[in-house]
Amino acid sequence: MQDALPAFVLSSEAPRTAMNDSPANPQTKAATPSPSDEHLMLGFSQGSAEAFSELFARYKQPLFGFFRRRLTDPAQAEELTQETFLVLLRSASRYRPRALFRTYLYAVGFKILRGHQRKAVLRATFFGARPAAHDPAVHDSPDANLAIREALARLESTEREILLLREFEQLSYAEISDLLRLPVNTVRSRLFRAREALRDILTAPAAQTVAAKLTASEEHV
Amino acid sequence: MNTAAHPVAPEEVMAFLDGELPTSEAHSVSEHLKHCADCSSLAARLGETQQRLASWKVEPLPAHVESSIRQSAEQEAFRAKNSSSTRILGIRAGFGWKPLLAFSLVAIAALILTSRAGRSPRRADYVASHASSEAGGVAGHAGAIGGSGQPITDQQSRELKQVVTLLSSGIAGDSNGLFHGLGVHATNSFVIDAMIARTASLSIMVKDFAASRLSLDSILVRHHGYTAQLNASTSENAQRSITASLRVPANELAATLAELKSLGHVENESQSGEEVTQQHADLVARLKNSRETEQRLQAILLQRTGKISDVLAVEQEIARVRGEIEQMGAEQKSLEHRVNFATIELQISEEYKAKLDNSSPSASTRIHNSLVTGYKSAAETLLGFVLFFAESGLTLLIWLVIILVPALLLVRRYRRIAAAF
Repeated sequence: MQDALPAFVLSSEAPRTAMNDSPANPQTKAATPSPSDEHLMLGFSQGSAEAFSELFARYKQPLFGFFRRRLTDPAQAEELTQETFLVLLRSASRYRPRALFRTYLYAVGFKILRGHQRKAVLRATFFGARPAAHDPAVHDSPDANLAIREALARLESTEREILLLREFEQLSYAEISDLLRLPVNTVRSRLFRAREALRDILTAPAAQTVAAKLTASEEHV
Repeated sequence: MNTAAHPVAPEEVMAFLDGELPTSEAHSVSEHLKHCADCSSLAARLGETQQRLASWKVEPLPAHVESSIRQSAEQEAFRAKNSSSTRILGIRAGFGWKPLLAFSLVAIAALILTSRAGRSPRRADYVASHASSEAGGVAGHAGAIGGSGQPITDQQSRELKQVVTLLSSGIAGDSNGLFHGLGVHATNSFVIDAMIARTASLSIMVKDFAASRLSLDSILVRHHGYTAQLNASTSENAQRSITASLRVPANELAATLAELKSLGHVENESQSGEEVTQQHADLVARLKNSRETEQRLQAILLQRTGKISDVLAVEQEIARVRGEIEQMGAEQKSLEHRVNFATIELQISEEYKAKLDNSSPSASTRIHNSLVTGYKSAAETLLGFVLFFAESGLTLLIWLVIILVPALLLVRRYRRIAAAF
């Protein structure tokens, strides 16, 4: 067990394992130190298109992943990604580096996502349109992702959000605390609960049956 | 996990794995993990969950979205460069809202000035047309000359120039907002005899109320005016005052006002004039027409014969026209009276000095009275509420049910759907 430990120590002694769409950490590239996100954003606010190009390259996939994991419809995720970058472009002149750029970016994205969800809920309330999250037909993601998406959907909404922000956007506890306006200790305890709950859901017999069915259907195909 | 046996909480193990613990705490947790099977197991479980999550891949952002965002970025960067380069003395070269506001204000001011200046020609047109429509008057003569197409003689030309000069001076005075703008010319020529009903309002504070009352009467006698209405409040232990509506000849207005002002300290003064020239001219024309109609009807009655019913119809028509003539005649007189006699709304107040009044009730009586009044007021308020609910409670309840039930259903539906996101 002791030998296995370092493999699970995610970032206390080594850089955190990056998810598939996490932005590359500029500090790890010691050979060619690249400018920080904040510097790039300030450069863009003064009219440097190259600065934005670099920022866009760093964050296009993380931001799309942010929306894609929270929305079942890929078209909506694309639309909100575009909208977030447009907001960023238009508010560049007012940008002040008071916090990390990525916190700022996800805060903008989070606000846009909340607005989108609010509108969708209102539409569904008054016009009877079913929210896309309930419609299995719109799950277009690969089958392996479906089990995770459904397991996450069974978590309490705030705990799910904390878990997503930590695991995929790789925000620190303090950043999540700022974004969701929760105390850091609350973030930590709820993140722990979310991880435990998710593990229970994923290892439950029902989930295993779903996974088995999915595997069988994959083989059949 | 038994927390008593474990100095490290499960959340701390997780925070350690996430790299969120300070170095000192991280070291102790790391040491603990080396010796504690439970915590090591927890760490393994957490790592396993994370690896499961890491398998969730997201497809790349489509190229068309990427190119669209890049295009927007280039446009925005171009705009940012241009705006920073065209900034002169801190003012953006483009039209901001401040320059637009300033421009709008200037335009409005210019419009107001233009419209005020433009009143003069319109007034001149009216006076000239009025003069030409009536018999007599220099302008009427001039209009006749212009209308006949005959060459204008020197005498006629001089008369015309005089009319224009008089018109200009009178109109200039009116455009300044002063009703006495027509000056001395108004009394000399029919052409510029604009009819203005003048009204002045004066509020005066006097020290000697009784003397002021007497002076008011003598001023009215001197200026041939009269009192249309007068209310005097002369109660003791209170400020005395007079509110009066005075009528004085229009040409005596200025002198009367000057004398009234000398009675005490003027607190408020305002003057206004209502031009009734057109109204008067219309009335005169209608009166003339009605009189001619009456004459024609009289002639019909005298010269023609017919059935009794026809004769009665003509007589009825004559009676109606006569009624109209008398009514219009009265209106004309009233209008002319308003013009000839200006109205002064006067208020004279005494500079009141309060006197110590020993007859006021004692403090205990006043407290008692206040308590009684307060009790009555509270009881009335309570009764008012009860009466209101007795009268409208049922209706309110019905409306509440009508509105509240769908609202509650909607809120429940909203919450249910929101929970699904």
